Formats: sequence, C-alpha cells, structure tokens
Amino acid sequence: MRKVSWTLRIVTLLSLVIILGPIAIVVLVSFSPSDFFAFPPRGLSLRWFHEFFRIPSMRAAYLLSLEVALTASVLAAVLGTLAALFLARRRGAVVGLLNALFLSPLVFPTIIIGVALLLFFRRVGMPILPGLILAHALIGTPYCIRLVLTSLQAFDVSLEEAGQSLGASPVRTFFLITLPSIRPGLLSGWLFAFIVSFGELNTALFLTGPGVTTLPIEIFAYLQFQGSQLVIAAASTLQICLVIILVVTIERLVGLSSMVR
Amino acid sequence: MSAPVPEADVVLRRVTKAFGSVVAVNDLTLEIPRGIFLSLLGPSGCGKTTTLRLIAGFEQPSEGDVFIRGQRVNLVPAYRRDFSMVFQNFALFPHMTVVNNVAFGLRMRRIPRAEREARVREALALVHLAGFEDRYPKQLSGGQQQRVALARAIVVRPTVLLLDEPLGSLDKKLREEMQVELRQLQRAIGITAVFVTHDQEEALTLSDRVAVMNGGRIEQMGTPRELYERPATDFVANFLGVSNIFEGRVIGRQDGEARVAIGPIQISVAWEPGLDAGGPVRVAVRPEKIRLGAPDEPGGLPARLRHVVYLGATTHFYLEGPDGGSLVVHVQNVSPDTALWTPGDKVSCHLEPRSVFVLRKG
Amino acid sequence: MEWLLRFIRTRWAWALVLPPLLFFLAFFVGPLLYLFFVSLHDVSQAEMYGTRLTMENYVRIAGDPFYHFIIRRTLTAGLAVSGLSLLIGYPVALSMVRMSPSRRSLLLMVLLFPLMVSNVIRAYGWIAILGRRGVVNKVLGDVGLIQAPLPLMYSLETVVVGLLTILLPYMIICLLNALLTVDRNLEEAAQALGAGPARTFLHVTLPLSTPGIASGLLLVFLLTLSAYVTVQLLGGAQSKMLVSLVYDSVMTFVWPRAAALAFVLLAISLAITTLMLKGIRPQRVQGKG
Repeated sequence: MRKVSWTLRIVTLLSLVIILGPIAIVVLVSFSPSDFFAFPPRGLSLRWFHEFFRIPSMRAAYLLSLEVALTASVLAAVLGTLAALFLARRRGAVVGLLNALFLSPLVFPTIIIGVALLLFFRRVGMPILPGLILAHALIGTPYCIRLVLTSLQAFDVSLEEAGQSLGASPVRTFFLITLPSIRPGLLSGWLFAFIVSFGELNTALFLTGPGVTTLPIEIFAYLQFQGSQLVIAAASTLQICLVIILVVTIERLVGLSSMVR
Repeated sequence: MSAPVPEADVVLRRVTKAFGSVVAVNDLTLEIPRGIFLSLLGPSGCGKTTTLRLIAGFEQPSEGDVFIRGQRVNLVPAYRRDFSMVFQNFALFPHMTVVNNVAFGLRMRRIPRAEREARVREALALVHLAGFEDRYPKQLSGGQQQRVALARAIVVRPTVLLLDEPLGSLDKKLREEMQVELRQLQRAIGITAVFVTHDQEEALTLSDRVAVMNGGRIEQMGTPRELYERPATDFVANFLGVSNIFEGRVIGRQDGEARVAIGPIQISVAWEPGLDAGGPVRVAVRPEKIRLGAPDEPGGLPARLRHVVYLGATTHFYLEGPDGGSLVVHVQNVSPDTALWTPGDKVSCHLEPRSVFVLRKG
Repeated sequence: MEWLLRFIRTRWAWALVLPPLLFFLAFFVGPLLYLFFVSLHDVSQAEMYGTRLTMENYVRIAGDPFYHFIIRRTLTAGLAVSGLSLLIGYPVALSMVRMSPSRRSLLLMVLLFPLMVSNVIRAYGWIAILGRRGVVNKVLGDVGLIQAPLPLMYSLETVVVGLLTILLPYMIICLLNALLTVDRNLEEAAQALGAGPARTFLHVTLPLSTPGIASGLLLVFLLTLSAYVTVQLLGGAQSKMLVSLVYDSVMTFVWPRAAALAFVLLAISLAITTLMLKGIRPQRVQGKG
C-alpha cells in the first residue's frame, strides 16, 4: 500500500515537472544576460525586458493585446451574465440546446472558428480590430457563463422573492440583491475571459493583419522567422506574470476549485 | 360577480393552479377576515404553499380570482402587492447589515430617512433585537435571523403577512419560544397573517382559524377546537390527532339527535342531513374521550388490551375491539394507580357521549 | 389582454437570452454555415470562391492519398496524446483525491495556471529545451556525451510530447472531478465485503470514474486536433497535421479547399465525440441509460 502511494507521488511530481518545466525554462531564459541561451545561466539581467519595451512592434502588440482583452472580456462578461441568468432559471429541451450552444466554443476547434470568421468578416467588410474583439468575446463567453452559473446556483432564489415581497421591481431586485451575490463569479469570469483573450492564438492567427497583431502572434512570428531571439522570452515572462496575478486573484474571489466542477 | 365583503382582507375565489398536468390548487375559495391568524395546514403536496404564493403573486392562478382589500390583483405583480413574507430559510440579504435588511422595504416605498430609521428601531425593539443593527446575517444565530426576517416583514405595515413554514429550520425549544413571540406580535399589531405549516400542533397553538388542506382543496376551515372536536372528514380527523372510527347504524331520531348503535352499545350524535333511520353511519371518537372500565361494567364496548405505552404524563392503550378493529385510548396519569391494566386483560371502553362525531368521506 | 400580460410575465426571461443568442447566431453559427457554403464551391483565382456549386473539394480530399496520410498521422497523434495523458494523469488525479482539501486546492491552482499561459509560450519552452542550442543539447554537450547537437525537434514525437505536457492538466482536472464524486462509502463497503485495495480500485473506483475518463479523453483529443501553433513550432514542415493544411490553404487564399478541410476536421471531431460517448457510455455510471 505504501509502495502504491509512493508511486503515485512520484508520478505526480514528474507530471508537475513536465508541465511546469518548459514554462520555468522560459522564465529562466528571459533573465539571461547573454545573447544566446546558456545553461546553467551565467547571472541575471533585465536586459531583454528593456529590449522588449524598446521594440515598437513588440510594444504595439502588447498594447493591442491588452486593448482587445479588455474590450472582449467586458463584452463576454455581459453576454455571459445574461445567458447564465437565463440558463439558471429555465428548464426544458430548448434550454438544454441553448446551453450546449453557448458552451460549445470550449470544445469546438477554435481554428475552424478562426477560418469561418475570417471568411465571414471579409464578406461583410468588418474591420480587423472589431473583428478580433468579437472573436475573443465569443471564445470568452463560455467561461463567463460557467463561472456566473456557479455563483447563481449557490444563490438562493428566495432572496429575490424576499426583495419582491418588499416592493423591489425585478430590475431593482437584480441590481440590489442578485448582482452583489454573484459578483465573485462575475469578476472571475471577466478576469478569465481577459486571460484567455490575452493568450489566444487560433483565431488571432487569421484575424490579425499588418499593423494589427497581438502579443502571442508576434511571439509566434519571431519564433518562426527570426530564430530564438531572447526578447521573446521576456515577452513570455511578462504574460506569465500576468497569469499568475490573475489566477491568485480569481482564487481569492471564488476559490478556483469551485470553478472547475 | 359583486366585490367580496370588505372586512375580508384576502379572498381567493374559485382559484385553480396547475403546473403542467399537476393540479396544485383545485377550485379553492377562501376568505380571510381582517386581523385573523390563519394557518394553512396539510401534508406536503396539498397545495398550501402554492396557495400562499398565489396570494403573494409569485404564482398566477390558472383560473379564478385573487382579491386583496377588495381589489382584484390577478394582474398585479408581486412587488406591487401590499403584503410581506417571511421565508423558511429566512432569505436575509447576506451582503446587507441587519438595519439595511429591515429598512429595505421602506426604501422601496421611498419612506424618508428619518421616519425610516425610527420605524426600523421600533421593529427591532419589537422582536427584541435592539443593538444588533450593524451585524451581518451570518453573524446571527438561527433564531436571531428569523427575528430579523420578521422585523423586516412587519416594518412595512402590510395588509397581510405571509409566513411559509418560517419555524421549520429551528430546533424544538426555539421553535416553541418563537411560536409564542410570533403570536404575541401579531396580536399586538393586529395584522392579518397567513401561516403555512405541516405541523398540526403548531397550527393549533398559533391560530385563530385553521384551514386543513388536501389535494389542492380545503377539507375544513374553522377554529382549532372545531376542527379537533368536530372534524368533518376522515382526512381532517386523522390529520389532527388520532381517532377511533366505528361503523354504526342509525336506529332512530329524536329532537336534534340521532341514535346510533355500535356493536352492543348505543350513543347519540348531533343529527345532520343524510342520517336516515336504518342507514349506516361512520362515527369517531378521540382517544382521550374514552374511559376504560372493568370488563363487566355496563354501557361500554368490550375490548382486549394488546399493548401499553407509558409516556410520563399520559399512558397510551392499544386495544382490539369487538369486531377485530384496533382502538387507541389515552389516559392521563392522574394518580399512581390510574391505568393498572396489563396486556391481555379484558376491559370495557366507555365513550364520552357528547364527544362522538360523524365522519364524512373527504 | 390579460392573456397577453400573462404571456409576457412568464416569458420575460427569454428577453435575457436574446442578446447572447443573437451574438452567437451572428458570429458563430452564421459564419460556420457560410464556411460550409463556401466549401461547396469551386476554386477561383479572382474571387474568394467560384460560381459553381460542387462537391469536388471533398471528393479531392477523400481521394488523395496525401490527405489520407495526414489524417492518419493526425489521428495517431490524437490517440497518442490522449492515451498517454490518461495513463499519466490518472495516478495524479488519484493522489489528488486523497489529499487534504487545502493541498488539493493549491495543486489545482498550480495546474490551472499553465493552462492560461499562451500555447506559443509553452511550445517555446520545449524549443528552449529540445532545440539545437537548447538545454538538453547544451548539457549533454558540456558534459561531453555528444559531439554534435541531437536533432530532437521537428518530429512527430516532439509534437506528441509537447501536446501531452500542454494538455495534461485538462485530463487531470476531468479525472479529478469524476473521482471526487465517487462516494467514499462505496469504497469502504467494498473493503468490508473483502476486496483489497487493488480489487476495490478495479471494480469500484475505476468504473465509477468512467465519465471523467470519457470527458478527459474527448477534451484532450479535440484540443489536439486544433493545436496549430504547437504542431508548427515543434513539428516543422516534416510533421504537418490536418490543422496545418487548413492554415496553409487559408494563407494561399484557396478558400473553398480551406473550408472543406476545416469541415473535414470538424467531421472527424464529431465522429470521435460520438464514438467516445457511445463506446465508453458514461451515462451508465450516471444512472441513466
């Protein structure tokens, strides 16, 4: 029995190593003082971070990613909350279908969404930036729905009836009673959608264009055409830090474990 | 159809409510006079909560009309009806302090701040929670939360106060204390109250009137005494306490009474239409209205004792009657030698003549 | 009139769902239908697609052995990644179930964090490890075990390893969810009836975790099908998959073919989903069916 639990522990440890290892290496590389990658590293330097902020295309990509993520996540949060409010209260076959529809971008091959939107946006003449934002909002909405739904399911409907019994109209009930209670889920959903948009690739591959690139696409381009420039490592580390901050924030808000169920 | 009598604060007229194919409330008519504490009593699924929610406006009737203070409110949504409600799980707003919870209804009615604060203070004093203003619901015990819910409901001075099994989640001792407080409060402010419960003791304790419900209809409505002593149907008789049921035969009629034969004895019951000489009749009597006597004592039903349960204040006797049916008799243990029979003994059961009632099928 | 008011009262919730529904129809369902429409046309040099309605794009894919080869390779990779992630992920999920809730939450956070790091960064990590000037080659070279750098990149194996480590957390989370719902009492009941730990696992825990296994395999497989950047960076030109072909067609503006390839990818996804759900039959465990 003890042998088994030791085996389990070793496998767990190994898994963590292979999952986190590559990320750790990237962070390590980003502090490298030299032009090429040396292992073991010969000291720490912030040179590549300075370099990152110096290069206009990198800066622009970073800012664009932030802009797109912010707009798309807000849109996703609004749409997701509306959908979650509906899904939490209604039953029936149609509702089941709608549930499947709204959650499908999670499993639907995002590359196909990218191609489809590219064609569609071309056809209707949608400018690049709004198109990208809409695509990311589409992809972020299921996360918002999931998280708000979790909050709503813990929310007691009789609180709303209590509000109405005291004279609050449905709209006031929502803003004064429901919204404060689902705020953690709402905020987490919004942050999640932000992170997802910031790191999203498959639709950005098709929907970005000259002068309008997101940071991941910029990193991808560098990797493909300019070899291993260490400035990418700096860019990557910046995103990794952002993710850490947001993950910890979400954990504080809702407790990540509740999100996963 | 003319408007209902203005003294009745709440009227339901021929109201039916169906959820798909399930009929929760079936052609129900109910008039609740002003200032009355009414309990809706029945087993789960009988429609009592649905009836309450129809008054509140959380459900719309499939047929029939609901009136509050003489005004038809079918189309009026819940938040515009003049009522307030106390919920079983308290439904206190977790993100607001006690004072903001209680003040909520007043805010919605745009009562100015000075008056609001005064009324909140008054309401909290009434429920003995002065000093708890700035606490949050999760810092309060169950009993305290329930009292905040009560304060929140009465501070708006509604026409009718609806209570949906509000004491269900409290433990026994607390529940009994709250029952007394609730009743005193209702009497003090004179509000009409409709109280839903499945606990018959609670209903009998609290109410001016009780409506026993079954299968979406009211089986009988009356004072607690009326319902207990003169249940109209099998269902009411068995829901409120226990009863012993006998098949008898009407043998005669005299003044306002009918003479009924049950086995070897005869008793008189109040006459009602449908009791014809020679016809069969079902009668019942409560277990505490039977006296046990020596087996040869005349005027009683012969029975054999099967089982004795000693309960401290009372003793319950389970007997086998003359035709094989079972009888239950409750005796107060007034002295040490009350009820010294043992299982197997033969005894005679003497029915208290004025306490036998006729049963109609529900 | 009253009927109308009542109708609106009970149906008001539908107004809530209208914005998201319209959004999804306009930017999800609509574009996909349009994509399908485009796939049914012939290729055109001047316009996005030609004027003829035809099935030739699909016919070409069905008949060309090159596409068969790529599809086979894609399916192989998918199977390898999902299978391996199950084998490695299950023990991890098992040990997480037995942890105290606080440790489990911590580990869950640690597992969720890499999922939110962009895939391009995670692939870059593997480049930094397996590349010609990467960690492995550097260390082996410095130590003197090898003369020339090992070509560890640009093979199917590299892609599988990369995708495995990227998608492993998804599998672990799916399995964990299923395992957490297995009632401890059931395991104890089995032990009370004489089953040792191995038999309890085999006959009680494992079967009850089938929904998690099914959803995990499905999720990982579907994500493998869609993982363009990882395949491109770690596999290069030698290890193209179906998703690479979709990208290439789009970049050369052969829209109808790109569309058809995309739908072939979708069809494969649906087929795998159906197979998985039918084969493993998670409903049996959930008490239905």
